[in-house]
Order: sequence, then C-alpha cells, then structure tokens
Amino acid sequence: MSEIKTHARAVADVIDGLIVASVEIARTPERVFQALSSREIVDWWVNPGVFDTREWSGDVRVGGRWHASGIARGAAYSLEGEFLEVDPPRKLVQTWHRQGTPGAPSTLTYMLEPIAGGTRLTVRHAGIAAPDQRNNMSAGWRTSCDRLSEILPNRKG
Amino acid sequence: MSRIEAKTDVFRAIADPTRRALLDRLRAGPANAGTLAADFRSSRPAVSKHLRVLREARLVVDTRIGRERVYAVNPVPLQSVAGWLEGYRAFWQVSLTRLKRNLEEK
Repeated sequence: MSEIKTHARAVADVIDGLIVASVEIARTPERVFQALSSREIVDWWVNPGVFDTREWSGDVRVGGRWHASGIARGAAYSLEGEFLEVDPPRKLVQTWHRQGTPGAPSTLTYMLEPIAGGTRLTVRHAGIAAPDQRNNMSAGWRTSCDRLSEILPNRKG
Repeated sequence: MSRIEAKTDVFRAIADPTRRALLDRLRAGPANAGTLAADFRSSRPAVSKHLRVLREARLVVDTRIGRERVYAVNPVPLQSVAGWLEGYRAFWQVSLTRLKRNLEEK
C-alpha cells in the first residue's frame, strides 16, 4: 500500500468559488462510492466542535433528492439537493443548497478512479456563493448576475 | 463606501466570466488594455469597461506609463471572499481525511 498517500488535500479557487479536494483510500471504488451515497455520510461529514452531520437521506438516482442535517458551531443546519449524475463506482454529481440561504445551489462532483492499492477520490465543489444573509452578499451577487446577463447578453464565457 | 458595499462590488466584479478570465490573464503579468483586447479578441472599449469594474472593486490597479495605462492584479479584496470559501475548503479536507480513516480502519 506504499503508493497510497496519507493525507487529504483541498484547495480553493477564490475567483471561481470552487473547491477541489482529493484523497487516496486503500479500498475499492465500489466501497468508497457506497460511503458517498448512503447514510454512512454521517460518519465522515464530521469535524468535532465545528460541524457534525446527524442525519442523511437520499434517493440515489438521477433526479432523486438528498437531505442532510446537523449542528455547526452550535447552530442547526440543513442541506439538500438533487442527484444530477449517478454512475457507480466512477462518478456522482449532485446539487448542494443550504436551506434558508438565497442564491443558486452549488454543484458537488465526486470522481473515483482506481489506482494501485485503492481509489483516488476527487471532489469538486463548484459555484459556491457567499452564504451570509446578514449583509446580503448572496442577494447582491445574484442581482448582479441577473443585471450583468441583461447588460452583456452576448458576452462569450 | 462601507466595507459591505466594497465586498459586494468584488462579488459583482467576479460574477462575470470575462472579468474572471481577465483576472486570470493579469495574474500572468501586467498588461495594457490594447494587449488585453488583442488577447481576448475583443474590442478595446469592451475590455476597458470590464477593467473599470475591476478597478472600482480594487481587484486591479492601474499605473500610467507614458500614454499607456498598465493594469495589474491586486489580490487584497479577494481575501475577504476567501474567508467564506475557507470554511468549505476546511470541510472537505477534514471530511475526506475522516472518510479515509474510517474506511481503512474497517
């Protein structure tokens, strides 16, 4: 198992509101996929004292919904979304929306590839908008996007 | 301008894909509007308009050299944006580490 790296890595691209993270796990892609798409999530979406996922349910098929809830720094939170792509044991794509926050949902993509001795799991969490309602940043972002799409209808992206 | 308005300006500025591409281009090094227009195969007024939004959000700074304005990236405003993204980055780093440990222990 010497090929397997010991630590997960995660980097943020601030300009695109994107997180890319990866980890190598000495288990098969099938086994890892199961942990991504079942109630087993409550065992690993956990950082004691910071966030603690208590419940997870999901209808793991394209168009199916998922829901998670827990406690983050003493406050209850609730996440939900829809599965966009379900391709075990290679790929899982789902939307991610924190209930009670404005703005479009972000998109979470898990990619699994077999490597010597296990699986490389890559997470891409894209389109993360500012969650803070108190100063209305998300609303400002969304309004700005709407306005820009009117002002610049022909901009190539 | 309050701090909140300044932040919103940053979001507005980076909400547009062309402006994000301009910032990426300027990360490689300072350039003037003419060079950027050529790189983006866009009109100079269109590029200037985007540069003005970026400048107002203080994401780029311009320096006058002779008759040319040269634009460069100013990373400071992005640090306020990075604050909320850091929560997500930490979430994934911690969660994936725990996932690995859980699976490999079993």
